[in-house]
Amino acid sequence: MFSEIKNRFATDDVEVKRKGLYKVVVKHERLFALIVMLKEMYDYKTLNTITCTDWIEEGHFALTYIMTTLKRNETFMLQTMILREEAHTKSLSYLFKQAQIMERDLHEMYGIKFEGNENLKELSLENWVHTPPLRREFDTLEFVNNHLTFRDGRDDNIDTKAESKRLRAIKKAEKEAAKKAKESKKAEDVQ
Amino acid sequence: METGFLQEQKVLEGDLNSENSHQNSVDFLMNWFRKQSIFVLAYGTGCGAIEMPPTFTSRYDAERLGIRGAATPRQADVIIVSGYCSYKTLRRIIRTYEQMSNPKYLLALGSCTVNGGMYWDSYNTIKKLEDYLPVDMYVNGCMPRPESILEGFIALQKEIGEGKASSWQKYEENYEFYRKNQEAVLGKKVEPSYEADWYLYEGGL
Amino acid sequence: MILFDLLFMLLVAYITGFLYYGLYRNITARFQRRLGPPVWQSFLDSIKFFSKEESISHGWMFYLGPVIMMSGAIMTLFFIPLFHTGESFKGLSSYGNLFLVLYLLVLGALGNALAVGASGNPFGVMGVTRGLSRLFALELPFYISVIALISVSGSADIVCIAASQTEWNAFAYPLLFIAALFSFVGMMGQAPFDVVGAPVEVYSGPASEFSGKFLALLMSQSAIFTFAKLVLMVHLFLGGASGFVELLAKSFGLFLFVIAFGAMYGRFKTPQSIDFLLKVPTSIAIVGLILATWS
Ligand code: SF4
Repeated sequence: MFSEIKNRFATDDVEVKRKGLYKVVVKHERLFALIVMLKEMYDYKTLNTITCTDWIEEGHFALTYIMTTLKRNETFMLQTMILREEAHTKSLSYLFKQAQIMERDLHEMYGIKFEGNENLKELSLENWVHTPPLRREFDTLEFVNNHLTFRDGRDDNIDTKAESKRLRAIKKAEKEAAKKAKESKKAEDVQ
Repeated sequence: METGFLQEQKVLEGDLNSENSHQNSVDFLMNWFRKQSIFVLAYGTGCGAIEMPPTFTSRYDAERLGIRGAATPRQADVIIVSGYCSYKTLRRIIRTYEQMSNPKYLLALGSCTVNGGMYWDSYNTIKKLEDYLPVDMYVNGCMPRPESILEGFIALQKEIGEGKASSWQKYEENYEFYRKNQEAVLGKKVEPSYEADWYLYEGGL
Repeated sequence: MILFDLLFMLLVAYITGFLYYGLYRNITARFQRRLGPPVWQSFLDSIKFFSKEESISHGWMFYLGPVIMMSGAIMTLFFIPLFHTGESFKGLSSYGNLFLVLYLLVLGALGNALAVGASGNPFGVMGVTRGLSRLFALELPFYISVIALISVSGSADIVCIAASQTEWNAFAYPLLFIAALFSFVGMMGQAPFDVVGAPVEVYSGPASEFSGKFLALLMSQSAIFTFAKLVLMVHLFLGGASGFVELLAKSFGLFLFVIAFGAMYGRFKTPQSIDFLLKVPTSIAIVGLILATWS
C-alpha cells in the first residue's frame, strides 16, 4: 500500500508515526484522487476531521485530512499545502457528508473557500466583518484593544516583578549592612 | 482609598448596612415582597452556569430564601449572566433581558463579567458587562462557589429591600448609551433574528 | 346574607389554597431532603407578581383568558357547599347540582386554551394541546364514578350525596374511589400526569407567556381551584364535613396523599398518560359502576 501510494501519487515516503498512525504529504492536485483511493480500496471510511495550519512565513496553509478505518484500527493523515493568497480548494462534501460542516468551520476561521460546498455561512461568529480570526495576520490583542473597553485597573496597581526586585534589593542591602556591622564589631572586639 | 473595581463594587453594593432609606410605606411593603420572592431565569452562559444547579437544588437549596427558578423570561425577576459572554451570547442575553418585565435585576457572576477574566485577550468575548447591560450585583471569583452566589443573592435582596436596586430604570434612562455600546461590538443589527433560519434554511447547521 | 357567605367562602378558599400550595412546596422539599421555602412563600410570590409591570399585549383574548379561568374557579367554588350540615356556607349549591360543577371544572382549561392560542407562544400551544388531550382521558373515569355515586344515592345534589353516606363512599365503593383518585391526581397537576406544565420540556407549558399580573391571577386561580376540588372530593367520597376542623383535616389528608403520590413517581408522556387513564382507571371505574348498581 505504501509503495503504491508513493509511486502513483509522487509523494515522499509514508511516515509511520507509530503503529497504526501514518502520515503523508501530497500535492494538492493529487489529494482528492488519493482520498478516493483510500476510501474505496483501503476501507478508510471515516473522515475524522479537517484541520488547518497557518504557515505564514512560507505563505501557505497546510490542510490535514485525518481518516480512519475501523477494520484495521488505523489512522491516516494526509497533508497538503494550498497558497495563502488564493486559499481555494475543492470541497469534499460529495464524498463525506461530515466534511460540509468541517469546511464551513475552516471557511469561517481561515477564509478558505471550498468550491462545491453549498453552505459556507458563518457557524459561530455572527456578522463578522474583520479578518478571519484564526489567520495569523489577525492580531488578537490589537483587535481587543481597538474594539473593546477594559475596566481601569487600580491606581495603586504595581508591576509585581519590578516591585519584588526592588524589595529584594532592599533586603540584600540590609543584610549586607548587618553583616558589615557584625564584622566591624568583631574586629573591635578582637582589638 | 480604594480605586478601580473595588470602589465600583462599593458603589454597587451601596452602604448596605446603613439604616437611612427614603421610601414611603407602600414602596417599603412592595419592596419587601419583591425581596422575599425572587424568580431566577434558568439561563446560563459560560462556565459559571455549572454552579447554579447545586445552588438551586438540594445541596444549597436557594428556595429556602425564596429564590426559585423560572422557566421563561416573562416570569423571571433576575437574570444571571454566569460568566464570559461571546458576541453571539450577548445578542441573546440582550433579547432575553428586554423580554423580562419590570422590575428586573441582573446578577453577574465571575471575573469574566468584571474585566474579561482569563478571556481578557479574546477577540470574541466582551470584557465589561456593565457597558452593555446594567448590572445590579457582581459576584466575583473564577468560578464563584454556590456559597458566594447565595451571598450575592442576599446582598441583592438587601438592596431590593431598600429600594436601591434600580438597574432597569438606569437601562431605560440611558438606553442610548447602552445601545451605542452594543452596536459598537455587535454591528447595527443587535438582536438575533426571530426566524429559525440559522438551522432550518440554506443548509442550516 | 348569601353575599357574606360567598365572600367568606372565597376568603377561606384563597387563604387555604395558598397555604396548601406553600405546604406542597415545603413538603416536596422535605421529600428531597432540603429545607424548602416557608409556608407563606406562594402568597409572597403572588403579591410580588401583582406588583410587576406589564409590557406585553396579544389582543383582548389574551387578557380575557385568565379572567375566564378565574371566574371558572370561583364559580366552581360557589356551587360546592363547604359543609353538608347546617344552614351557612352553602354558597349557591341549592341553585345548581353536581352536573353544573362538573361542567365548570373544565371551564378553566378552556379559558387557558383561548388565551394561549391568542398569544401564539409555541411552548404554550404545545402545553395546551397536551393539556386538552389529557383532559378528555382524565374525565372519563371521574365521570363514570360520579355517575355511579349519583345513581347509588339517588340524587345529583352534593349535599344529599354527602349526607346519604352512613359509611364513607370511599370504603363502601373502593373501586370507584380509586378510579376517581387517579383522575384527581391528574386534575391537581401532579406526577405522573403532570405533562402539561412540564418545566424542563415546554417551559412551564400553558403559563409560559403569562407574566406579572396574569401569572398572579393564574396562581390565585389555581389556589382557589385546588381548594374547590378538594372540597368536592371530600363531599363525594369522604363523608362530607360538618365543621371547619373536619373539612380541613379531611382535605389536607387527601392533599397530602396527592403530594406524596406525585413526589414518588416520574412523568408519563402524553400518549402514555392517555393510554393509562383510558385503560386502567376507566376499567376500574366501570367494574365499580357495575358492582355498585348491581342489586
Ligand atoms: S470567571 Fe472563570 S469560571 Fe467564570 S466564566 Fe470566566 S473563566 Fe469561566
